Amino acid sequence: MGLIYSKQMLGAAAALAFFTAAVPAKAQTRAETLRYVTGAAVNTLDPNIPGSTREAFAVSLSTYDRLVSFGRKQLNGKWVFDLDTIRGELAESYSVSPDGLKITFKLRNDAKFQDGSPVTAEDVKWSLDRAVTAKILGKAQLLTGSLTDASQFKVIDPTTFEVTLPQPDKLALPNLATVYPIIINSKLAKAHATEEDPWAQAWLKENTAGSGAYIVETFKPGEQVILKRNDAWNRAAGDKQAFFKRLIIQSVPEPATRANLVEKGDADIVIDLQASDAQALEAKGKLQVISTPQYNAITFISMNNQMPPFDKPDVRRAVAYALPYDDMFKAALFSRGDLLAGATWADGKPPSGAFPIKQPIKLDLEKAKAYLKAAGYPDGFSTTFSFNVGQSATAEPMAALLKESLAKIGIKVDIQKLPDAQMSTQITEKKLPFFTEGIVAWLPSTDYFYRNFYTGNQRWNYSSIDNAELTAVAQKARFEADKAKYEADGKVLNAMNFDLMPQIPLWQPSQDAVMASNLTGYTYQFHRQVDYRDLSRK
Amino acid sequence: MTTLGATAIRAARRFASSLPALFGVLIFTFLLMRVLPGDPAVFFASGPNSGKEEIETIRKQMGLDKPVPQQLFLYLYDVGRGNLGRSLMTGQNVTKDLRERLPASLELTFSALLIALVLAIPLGVLAALKPGSLVDHGVRLFCALGVCVPTFVSGLLLIYIFYYLFGVSPDPTGRVDIFTTLPPAHTGFLLIDFALAGDFDGWWAAFKQLILPACTMALFVIAPLARITRASMLASLGSDFVRTARSVGLSWWRIIVTYALRNAILPVITIAGIVFSTMLGANVLVEKVFSWPGVASYALDALLSSDYAPVQGFVLLMASVFVIVNLVVDVLYGIADPRISIG
Repeated sequence: MGLIYSKQMLGAAAALAFFTAAVPAKAQTRAETLRYVTGAAVNTLDPNIPGSTREAFAVSLSTYDRLVSFGRKQLNGKWVFDLDTIRGELAESYSVSPDGLKITFKLRNDAKFQDGSPVTAEDVKWSLDRAVTAKILGKAQLLTGSLTDASQFKVIDPTTFEVTLPQPDKLALPNLATVYPIIINSKLAKAHATEEDPWAQAWLKENTAGSGAYIVETFKPGEQVILKRNDAWNRAAGDKQAFFKRLIIQSVPEPATRANLVEKGDADIVIDLQASDAQALEAKGKLQVISTPQYNAITFISMNNQMPPFDKPDVRRAVAYALPYDDMFKAALFSRGDLLAGATWADGKPPSGAFPIKQPIKLDLEKAKAYLKAAGYPDGFSTTFSFNVGQSATAEPMAALLKESLAKIGIKVDIQKLPDAQMSTQITEKKLPFFTEGIVAWLPSTDYFYRNFYTGNQRWNYSSIDNAELTAVAQKARFEADKAKYEADGKVLNAMNFDLMPQIPLWQPSQDAVMASNLTGYTYQFHRQVDYRDLSRK
Repeated sequence: MTTLGATAIRAARRFASSLPALFGVLIFTFLLMRVLPGDPAVFFASGPNSGKEEIETIRKQMGLDKPVPQQLFLYLYDVGRGNLGRSLMTGQNVTKDLRERLPASLELTFSALLIALVLAIPLGVLAALKPGSLVDHGVRLFCALGVCVPTFVSGLLLIYIFYYLFGVSPDPTGRVDIFTTLPPAHTGFLLIDFALAGDFDGWWAAFKQLILPACTMALFVIAPLARITRASMLASLGSDFVRTARSVGLSWWRIIVTYALRNAILPVITIAGIVFSTMLGANVLVEKVFSWPGVASYALDALLSSDYAPVQGFVLLMASVFVIVNLVVDVLYGIADPRISIG
């Protein structure tokens, strides 16, 4: 190893000195510590609390276990989560009854909570009851997997647990692997429950009662969280422990500072750098940059289908043909991601029933003008295009190009930059005519996308489309067990979507994970955060 | 003894007379936040599946389902009991958040002001002694540079040079290196707490973290302080008593420091007071660049997400600090110039 002491080594030595003093047997080095920096912040230890941030989700994945978790697969050479492989986490095994109405879980015998008490089916029941009963975030999520009522959860014996479904639902099991249905130490939690807070929400927000891979050491909301490894935990793939002995999750609001930290080696991994910084660091070649298109997220340009002039499909088509997709993609994201335009569909039919798929659309001003004329606006019109301040790094250059290009077909656009809370309020109240926003689906299946983002009078239906046929096909597809029929439904939906053009899917931005070159195991997860348990150091 | 007592009474009276203003600030901020178009409930109900129900839950939690006059009444009642409400952003009580973050901001601002004063007063005096000379122009250039470079630029520049290029500064992430154990919190000022605990390695670590952001902020405020010192020194140096002092052959040091500077210091104190209050609230860029866990960046984040309670709490805190700083300035006036009485 030699006697070269870098700054990191000195830091490590200092840490070592401290730990040897504090906990004699457990010396930890810098190499065994993972330091993750982020622009956001952890605000609660229970991911179910309304207002939880994504960073809080990531922490909860390490501090709590779920019954099951997603496997991973390789997509274009990069590891991503796999919705179709579900492996046990607290469950040793699970079985689905032939009629698809009962899922039985066999719990691990060796699973213990962090206070040493064993994980029992009673705890699982209490935790899932809480997820569907209490006023928390889990409720709306589990609903999408037909999990709505405490009577669906049954304790068979201390290590066997059964879930009953009203109808076979392919999203029931995946839902139990999402962030919210954490398994809580019910005895501990109940001890802190009160009359008006029977599910101990107030206590669990500041404390953990889980069986997860990491134990919370310090939690300073908005600043940092330090976690230490739960050595008894063995729920990683292959019954392994987590690699890092210590995790430091730290908020560093300035993106340039985060880039400096990771480049200097003081931070190990960061996923929210500016696209330009990620590109520069990749070019320097000192660090590993794993850039995964977020295949469960989409950025849209949305038009309010209930508001003139965007209530006319031809106007929406005209806008779609008047956008300089390639230039926008380059200017906003430095082409980091997957562009959803510029495809060719043979005989005009969607080639697949997956969502999203590349749209057969490109910049064609003549076509756009023709559509605009057909809609009765030969001279164009004026409108406002909005985006939120938090997205300005990507939305600003994009909006400028959009404005310039639409001016060529006579549509005059005023660009409006809104603070994030204002933007979400106006979207929910359906007051914005024309804007850009993104969506993300944890469980990305075609019917889920269409049901959540193209139906109903609710916030996520950005385009406010209300099409009875589309809604009916999407609802039917939800419980379609036959794969071929499901694919056919998907194609129908994709064709309708392209024809109606309620909103324009632009791209799937990349998640640029920039990390030290000796880190391995990084996997793009459905929650778009780092699952710290995946990582190890070579 | 009597003067001290009189000063205290006058200060107390002065403080009491500022209470209506504080109350006004309280109500004004409350109403302002409600008038802003963002709805915090919608913003925070932003999980991938949050619908109307979540929005309603949050609204109820924040008390937004009640009519505004009732909300105001409840808020005043809470503030009266020392409860500033709960922040959705951090999930903590605003009182607790502010109590943890205010020392960080104060420590940074005090250090910055100290650095600024230590540099600005001699610079101003030097410039005033030789007006129009090379020194005067040099000071002017330095001041102009300090003011015209925005703090986030100078901050990033300092980080680039001292952290990235030379590696002499620790990483710019907060008040103390992440591997350092914190001293028991007595004052919340890390430099003082470390010194009290006798942990000088810790003190050094905290000092190294503090010096860059403090210099960044100081650079920005040296200009007004130095310019005011210069102007006021010029007036003072040209006055009769300095001429008299010179004519009776007093030493150079006594003329400049005891007579001229002491008389010139009043406007500098005023400006220093204003600069201090402004820095405390407006150093958000420095706090962001250096990940400093202070009150200004806290308030900005809250404002962006329309999180009412922290913004209201912050404005109230700033108003109170302003009142206190003005009070201190008045008392300092009395010390600098005994002829002045406040009241």
